[in-house]
Amino acid sequence: MATTDYTIPGEHDLETLDIHVNVGPQHPATHGVFRMVLTIDGEVVTDVDPVIGYMHRGNEKLPENCDYRQVIGYHDRTDYLAQFNTEHCFVEAVEKLTGIVPTERSQYVRVILAELNRITSHLMFVGAFSTDIGIFGTAFMYAFRDREIVQEFFEEITGERMMYNYFRPGGVAWDVPDNFRERCNQVLDHIKKGIDDLEGLIVDNEVVLARCRGLSRMSTDDAINWGLSGPLLRSTGLAFDLRKAEPYSIYDRFDFDIPTGIDGDIYDRVLIRLEEMKQSVRIVEQALAEMPGGPIMAEGLKRVLRVPEGEIYMRVEGPRGEYGVYIVATGADKPYRHKVRGASFSNLSALRAMSVGNYVSDVIIILGSIDIVLCEVDR
Amino acid sequence: MTTGQETAQEAPPPPEPGPLVKLLQELLPGVGFEIRETPLDETVTISRDNFAKVMETLKSHERLRFDYLRCLSGVDYLTELETVYHFYSYEHGHKLAVKVRCPYEDAHVPTVSHIWATANWHERETHEMYGIVFDGHPDLRPLLTEEGLGYYLLRKSHPLADIEEWQESYLSAIDEAKRQAAAAGGEAPPPMSKVAIAQAKAKVMKEARDKARSEGLSPEDEKAAVRAAIDKFNEDLASGQAGGAAAAPAPMSKVELAQAKAKVITKARSEARAKGMSTEDEKALVAEAIKKFSAEQEAGAAPATAAPKKEMSKVELAQAKAKVITKARSEARAQGMSTEDEKKFVAEALKKFSAEQGS
Repeated sequence: MATTDYTIPGEHDLETLDIHVNVGPQHPATHGVFRMVLTIDGEVVTDVDPVIGYMHRGNEKLPENCDYRQVIGYHDRTDYLAQFNTEHCFVEAVEKLTGIVPTERSQYVRVILAELNRITSHLMFVGAFSTDIGIFGTAFMYAFRDREIVQEFFEEITGERMMYNYFRPGGVAWDVPDNFRERCNQVLDHIKKGIDDLEGLIVDNEVVLARCRGLSRMSTDDAINWGLSGPLLRSTGLAFDLRKAEPYSIYDRFDFDIPTGIDGDIYDRVLIRLEEMKQSVRIVEQALAEMPGGPIMAEGLKRVLRVPEGEIYMRVEGPRGEYGVYIVATGADKPYRHKVRGASFSNLSALRAMSVGNYVSDVIIILGSIDIVLCEVDR
Repeated sequence: MTTGQETAQEAPPPPEPGPLVKLLQELLPGVGFEIRETPLDETVTISRDNFAKVMETLKSHERLRFDYLRCLSGVDYLTELETVYHFYSYEHGHKLAVKVRCPYEDAHVPTVSHIWATANWHERETHEMYGIVFDGHPDLRPLLTEEGLGYYLLRKSHPLADIEEWQESYLSAIDEAKRQAAAAGGEAPPPMSKVAIAQAKAKVMKEARDKARSEGLSPEDEKAAVRAAIDKFNEDLASGQAGGAAAAPAPMSKVELAQAKAKVITKARSEARAKGMSTEDEKALVAEAIKKFSAEQEAGAAPATAAPKKEMSKVELAQAKAKVITKARSEARAQGMSTEDEKKFVAEALKKFSAEQGS
């Protein structure tokens, strides 16, 4: 549905007032505690003022008073849908600053878990997004059925359903269970089937096509200017993925593709996430095949981890885009400065640019397509 | 497998400029780049005077073309504040970190939000967390916290623990300062919110329309009348906030006087209590002190109002207190005290601090 052919009636024809509508903070369509003040002219949104901060818990200040290993738990609580990816970022940062080399086996475990986590995050997106556009039910249930299987697998490994706190500088907290390979293959089988199911439900769906095609088109230049990353950036046609562009960990050993969009519209953003799940499956399969035995934690680490003076901005490709952490270390056992750059933060800041000129109901979809995690936005 | 702690401590040689820094030096002659070695990125520190020029060049020069501002952070170095910009160039694939420092008293940095749109929110956040003002930013409202907080959460002077006490004294000090300012010069009316403006506008429109109808104007004339009313309203709004500011000559001395008096009373009372006087005697002592104070005022000597030495403001006091707490705590931790002992230690330090303040 084209939304740009709306014309404002002549200035003196009709005196109307702009109406301000609060959406949220307690509203299911805002995906958490997020409020936007819409200024609407009839059904058309003329201004959006996003109001964030409801989830601000001092996730940057608190780690400045914590031992380096204690900080890992705070990263689970930033992007709570991609915890392994966030932990990965932080432990990589500490390892790069200290010179600790993680063991081979633990690197493979990390990559497998991070990629599975990407899949659960995208499954969450597909489920929530399909609810946003009004096909509640089937897709949501299918997505959550598969997500639950992976979630159980994570629980078997880490003992936790959400706040895993499993990665450590130098490796992982403890070894994976003996039946890891077998269970992982089972999970992959489920996911592969699940992705096919979801594709059947989403890709040619009338509702999805009608509501998403051509909506909120973004050019690559605009996307870069607004600092968009992840699927939002790739939907504009730029094949940029930190796993390829600045390979961290052992991502350079795996063979996978970067899906890109053509139009930069919402439909592309959905398709890219579906495709990324398949690519993640590919990575996990390769990693499983190559995974060596051996220790899971580097030797010779002290109980108190002191990081020598220095600073680093470490970034990884999270499901939502570039997740970064900027650490200033002074040689103490605590970070001096601990900044979290959430992908959702920058992506959400472009909401106004994406939304103005569209209908109110479409703004809900646009917000959904950004796939925000408010804990990462507010920190 | 190193922990990096045995890295050489002898005189540090200046780090070698990387290819990117060499390019910068070539393209921006006359700009000083202080190089710092960091993993992943090449890092340079520039002075604030060159900042705007360097940033423009980073984005626009074809050999640099840093089109992606990936992260913007503030850092509090106790003596100075710093902002750090992490860049990436999609075209060339190179990455750079640029740092700029500003002193506490003059925490201003030019904005880059007109060069990279993504800087808008990052700068808003850095402003509210560190108090760095980004000159030229279109909208520096706080992003994550409420408006008018009055303090900067991520500065090192902001304590993490015992925050309630700190906050209370800090906020009451700020309130008091505001009251004084209001008493002194009359406060400018707060700017109207968008909603309030719309409501006021609606009222103006309705009034104009009703008036036109009661006068029996033609629909054409009615429209024109409403239009004129709206234009007038907009004009008023634009020129607004002119009134009020020029009002009221400063009755500052009165406020000061009242404060001085209050101080005298408090002092007399606490003295009386310290001596264990009866209520009656206490009252008498206080009354005497007030009488003495008034007499001094009338005589114009007023030693009480002219503060003997510049006393700490409440804000400074609260900050100093926070510092004492932090220091005591870290000392206690360094000595490996138990939690109980640590608490005691901190309490003692606080007591000592209060005693020092009292004397």
